[in-house]
Amino acid sequence: MTNARWLLIVLALVTAIVAGVTAGTLPLTPSEVLHGLLGNAAPMHIAVVRELRLPRVLLAALVGAGLGAAGAALQGATRNVLAEPYLLGVSGGAAMGAVIAVALGARGPLVPLAGFAGALGAVALTLLVARAAGGRGDARIVLMAGVVVGAFANAAIMVALAGADASVVRGALWWMMGSAADASWMAVRGLALYVAVGIAILLVLARAIDVLALGEDTAAGMGVDVARVTLGVYVAGALLTAGTVAAAGLVGFVGLLVPHLVRMTGARTHRSIISGAALAGAALVVVADLMARVAHPPAELPLGAITALLGVPFFLAHLRRLT
Amino acid sequence: MSRLTASLSLLVLASVLAACERRTAPMHDTATDDFGDTVVVATAPVRIVSLNPTTTELLYAIGAGARLVGRTSYDRIPAAVSAVPDLGPGLRPNVEAVLAARPDLVILYASEDNRDAARRLRAARVPTVAYKVDRIADFARVTLALGRITGDTAAARVTVDTVGRTLAGTLVRTAALPHPRVFWFLWESPLLAVGGGSFLSEMLKVAGALNVYDSLPEPSPSITFEDLVRRDPDIVLASATTRARMLADPRWRTLRAVRERRVLVFDTTIVNGPSARVGASAVALATLLHPDAFAP
Repeated sequence: MTNARWLLIVLALVTAIVAGVTAGTLPLTPSEVLHGLLGNAAPMHIAVVRELRLPRVLLAALVGAGLGAAGAALQGATRNVLAEPYLLGVSGGAAMGAVIAVALGARGPLVPLAGFAGALGAVALTLLVARAAGGRGDARIVLMAGVVVGAFANAAIMVALAGADASVVRGALWWMMGSAADASWMAVRGLALYVAVGIAILLVLARAIDVLALGEDTAAGMGVDVARVTLGVYVAGALLTAGTVAAAGLVGFVGLLVPHLVRMTGARTHRSIISGAALAGAALVVVADLMARVAHPPAELPLGAITALLGVPFFLAHLRRLT
Repeated sequence: MSRLTASLSLLVLASVLAACERRTAPMHDTATDDFGDTVVVATAPVRIVSLNPTTTELLYAIGAGARLVGRTSYDRIPAAVSAVPDLGPGLRPNVEAVLAARPDLVILYASEDNRDAARRLRAARVPTVAYKVDRIADFARVTLALGRITGDTAAARVTVDTVGRTLAGTLVRTAALPHPRVFWFLWESPLLAVGGGSFLSEMLKVAGALNVYDSLPEPSPSITFEDLVRRDPDIVLASATTRARMLADPRWRTLRAVRERRVLVFDTTIVNGPSARVGASAVALATLLHPDAFAP
């Protein structure tokens, strides 16, 4: 990828972040936003900029970065352009954890924690199922195991919600639609750690993923431990996805779409695709979250629906280029 | 304020009209419900299923509670209701479970979700009526309708009359007081407020306060946190556990009312609907919001 294209992606992210901090339901001028950031404005402006908008924008950026990077690595490792983080059963497991927590009366920070536990549990189950089926390093078997675990989780959610109170159903549904509305500095710090560790692991594995793209036999012939690399990508992808799901619920389409966008810019090595997908994913989710906040005030729109609405036309255009 | 005053006047008028009704009831009566259906019901039914916690409460208030043979899983008030068999949800109910209770009257909530259940129950020759009890005006209308159907006309009239007088009296007492701007918290994720479509918003007006989300037509609209900060309420109403969480949370502390610790605790179990407790609840709310004016 050329330097000009890198600059374009970074510029898109910076513009998205500036727009995200500047715009909102409360009309603030750029100067008021700047003074709010510096802490020498009216208390309400400082509170809105520092405690509401900034953590929210950063959380959205981290969610996008995590999902983008995880999607890029999974598509590379599985040699499947339709692979995405949620295919490993992560989304279903996370939603199951969260819904069961809500149905049992949990509120506040317990819900995302239960989602995180559910996501990790689902990935572990997926890998166990794949291993039991004899396909530890076989991408197809792992993806199929992920689909099966996801379907089981969805069935469990439906059973849990069938007899639940309307408020429980509403809360669970809202969580499944994704939202960065509950962003706090604590959530930003927690997710930043997951995203940094997850992306670092993927970047270390990037060269091996490049070799894997040539085919498993070729990669093995070149001295790559295919099973170990694949497992590493799954575990790092699961950490990234579970972290983002715990912070903002299910935000669909980012992990599927963004790697394609980055490859369209000419990125070929997985080091560039993963880094580019992290930056572009961050920009996309920040913009989507801004739309969720300002499109229909005072109501919030679900973030996952906005990312899908933005993603589908891009994806259709991309499909036309491919066919 | 005019819509509310009109509602309260209607309430008083309804009780006067009820007083003029004939005293001797025939063996069968017809009732037109909120689906617009005219239903033939036996006078003074003895096996009643109520699948809306608010109508269940109203039946107890007018003295027909002992005739209940079924309720929803969500009924909590009054305490005696726990002895009534639980027949499941109030929306899209299990028709077979309702029929198994052998009711001679079923009362549903008038939601589109319940049209099919009403049709099936009537096809099984069980008189079924559906009422919407969402606003304070609905309380009077439905209480009097239930009174007519169950044969407890006088008790229904007394209930409506008592509540109407309490509400009107509270409104008069709070009229001259300064009206604080209130945000009534309902739910955290998604953030939900009491909106203008809820009877709680009407109750706030009676209690001498203004709901910052009164202009929104929904009963429990979803809102953004930033919009809430922009509306800058003077007082926040929440449950005791939510209050403790709000006071400790930096995000909630961006709200002036929370920083200044003006988060008042109000029992949110009244959110069922406008039942016979709506008058007493309005007085309790007025006492909470205006402790000096309403001190015993």
